[in-house]
Amino acid sequence: MSFDVESHSSDTVIVHMGEALDFRNADEFKDTFQDHVEDGVRNFILDFSDTEVLDSTGLGSIFSLYREISPEDGKVAFADVSRPVQVVVQLTRTYKVFRQFPSVQAAKEALA
Amino acid sequence: MSTFAKDYTDLDRALDEVRTLIEEWSSEQNSASAPTPETIRYTQLVLHEWIANLLQHADFEDRSPLIQIRLQTENRHVTCSVTDNSEGFNFQDQLPSQDEAMEDLPERGMGLRIINACTESVSYTPTNSGRYRFEFSIPADHDPWLSMLF
Repeated sequence: MSFDVESHSSDTVIVHMGEALDFRNADEFKDTFQDHVEDGVRNFILDFSDTEVLDSTGLGSIFSLYREISPEDGKVAFADVSRPVQVVVQLTRTYKVFRQFPSVQAAKEALA
Repeated sequence: MSTFAKDYTDLDRALDEVRTLIEEWSSEQNSASAPTPETIRYTQLVLHEWIANLLQHADFEDRSPLIQIRLQTENRHVTCSVTDNSEGFNFQDQLPSQDEAMEDLPERGMGLRIINACTESVSYTPTNSGRYRFEFSIPADHDPWLSMLF
């Protein structure tokens, strides 16, 4: 499964996370964001509207993205977070690190 | 008491199927005693983390993997076991204590912490038949937010 990435501006993309981000596709997610970081993208809006599974390895790959872009004022935003993903976010308290928005549009406006 | 039982020799398939099957099983329970949606989500997450752990790290030597999932509910309380034919490992040694410091935003090592936070009790022990059994329980009022991860 590949990740569907939509460009919003020169430094912001929306990544549609699909059905799952887990240990089976976490490396693919890292390859995907790496390509965009190298192209100058600093803000990543992660659309979790269709996501049924986020596991510890998947979350770890998002931390990896955050560690890479945060020194350059990059941001990772969670948008339209599904209930299964919300459980993991609450459990791990990652809402302290990643801003959440009710929709991709709201995230776009906040990061503009 | 109602029991969900499913055996798998293909752990990838188990990972793909078990979430949906448990949701379907839960929806068939009597609404007065069925686990809450939150309890079911914790159950699904724990099972995903555990099966992923087996897929990535378990040593099955030259045997074909076999796992047997048994899930029971009574008065909204969930108990679950996953018996496997791997060589096992010392679970208590691997399980981080809740107050053990963790590196900031780690890329690995969160799976067992998540399992620990979602459950009231959890163990992984040898059975009399030479297999290993992962067991956990989640009470109806379990509040994993009390279990600090970061």
